[in-house]
Amino acid sequence: MAQRAAVVGVGITDATSPRKQTRSHLELCQEAAWAAIEHAGVSPAELDGVVVGNIDGFEGTVLGGKHITRLLGLGTHLPMVVLNTGGTTGGNLMQVAARMVRAGTHQRVLCLGGPTFFGVRDLQSAINTNSPMIVEQPLGMGGFHMGAFAASAYQARHGTTVEDLASVVVADHQKASRNPYAHLRYTLSETDVVEGTPLSSPLTQPMVCPVSTSAAAMVVASEDVAAARRTPSALIRAMGTSSDPYLGGGKGDFAVMENLAALARRVYALADVRDPRAEFDVVEVFAPYVHMQPMQLEALGFCGAGEGIDLIRSGATDAGGDLPTNLSGGPKCTNAGVAGELAPYAYTALQVMGDAPEAIQVPGARTGLAHGTGGSFFQFENLAVFSQLTPQEQ
Amino acid sequence: MSSPLTQTVHWDLTYDVHLGSTWGRFMQGLREQKILANSCPECSRTFVPPQAYCESCFVRTEQWTELPAEGDLEVFTVVWQGFTGGPKPPYAVGGIRLAGADTLLMHVVTGLDFSDPSTVRDQLPHGSRVRAVWAEDRTGQILDISHFEPAG
Repeated sequence: MAQRAAVVGVGITDATSPRKQTRSHLELCQEAAWAAIEHAGVSPAELDGVVVGNIDGFEGTVLGGKHITRLLGLGTHLPMVVLNTGGTTGGNLMQVAARMVRAGTHQRVLCLGGPTFFGVRDLQSAINTNSPMIVEQPLGMGGFHMGAFAASAYQARHGTTVEDLASVVVADHQKASRNPYAHLRYTLSETDVVEGTPLSSPLTQPMVCPVSTSAAAMVVASEDVAAARRTPSALIRAMGTSSDPYLGGGKGDFAVMENLAALARRVYALADVRDPRAEFDVVEVFAPYVHMQPMQLEALGFCGAGEGIDLIRSGATDAGGDLPTNLSGGPKCTNAGVAGELAPYAYTALQVMGDAPEAIQVPGARTGLAHGTGGSFFQFENLAVFSQLTPQEQ
Repeated sequence: MSSPLTQTVHWDLTYDVHLGSTWGRFMQGLREQKILANSCPECSRTFVPPQAYCESCFVRTEQWTELPAEGDLEVFTVVWQGFTGGPKPPYAVGGIRLAGADTLLMHVVTGLDFSDPSTVRDQLPHGSRVRAVWAEDRTGQILDISHFEPAG
């Protein structure tokens, strides 16, 4: 029988650079999985499914998800689903787990995202193999080169300066400096950002995410399981995914995120969200490149076109503002691939449960929005609306 | 002494990607110095590169047309830092709107002075006219168009 689903447990590991990482992919995944199980208060024997993600070609093996799951130590006869949807793998993990629970066939499903960006020596050359073969791959674009198209178009449309862009980076780093799980926890100035090494115009190195190593996991359970817990859970009120055309050149307009705006309208309608700015207490968006966060805030209906950077500069998206956004520091400061893409869901669920790290917890957060995106030229978008589910009266 | 943290793995694999009839015809067109597009019978949008199906209407595309080898540069980025196996930076890649197309054609754009990174964006403002320069040896691939250069 169909039922509602909620996040009942979250596990996130510390993050660091590939060079400093002393643990293996498997060891990070084990830590995150067991932390999520413990947070959920379930026993491994109670799990009835695992949804695990990997990205072909980024790890030197195409069996990452399969062999990792077997070695988690969670027991035998545990059904497994491997997601391999490129850059959106992490953002799709909960979407699939929640559908399994909602269908009524599963009660407790573990989502697991490992570090998938750190295996390859030159990540941009690996991402180039994921760009549209034959017609766009030979032109010489990796991840941030594809991202730079939207940054460049947004600048041309709104007259955005590099200083404007830099202010977003400064805000993200200030937030990450308070998150114990973040990778880049130093603060920097607008000048540091503007004068950073040019990567792909207008993006400089500080405007682009780091390659991080960490893992994240969540337990998604039925509403009955969630309601029987002693502490709040994160009810998944609505969720959805959407896609743009495959080719980068198929985008109608690089200066606006039309696909995300369409998805937001659909998911808000499902969740009965009528005034997003007023209704969300906390937001986490997947914005690994500087221009993405302001453009996403616009597409999500929090401000008008070209007003995203002003919204960030106003302090509204800081801790204590009316729309706290990416208090984790976001993927701009921690991006471990599949784990990084699962992170917006993990942090938003933690916020709504009241269990985020103390320094970034939004007091009294009850409603949250989590977002993910990926694929060549960020073709795919995913969203979920969470609400706090309080324990049943005993 | 600390224990080793990593071991190196290297793959060197060659693949054949099968073009199919739609991209096969497009590539044959490039050999003949023609940029071919096709259209959706329902929404009438014209795609370049062509597509077998319309991604919006989910119907087979039909009608083939040849587009002019000149268009407006709608967006571009200058690659200052490339990657292993890619072209040698700096180089520019842009999205070009050929007259009659509803999609952008992505390609390499030349004619920029790379000496001062802060000026590159203003050198080719939104809508700058660019034209295709054909490669001398054409083998049926996207780089049969060598690049696009500023026109006029």
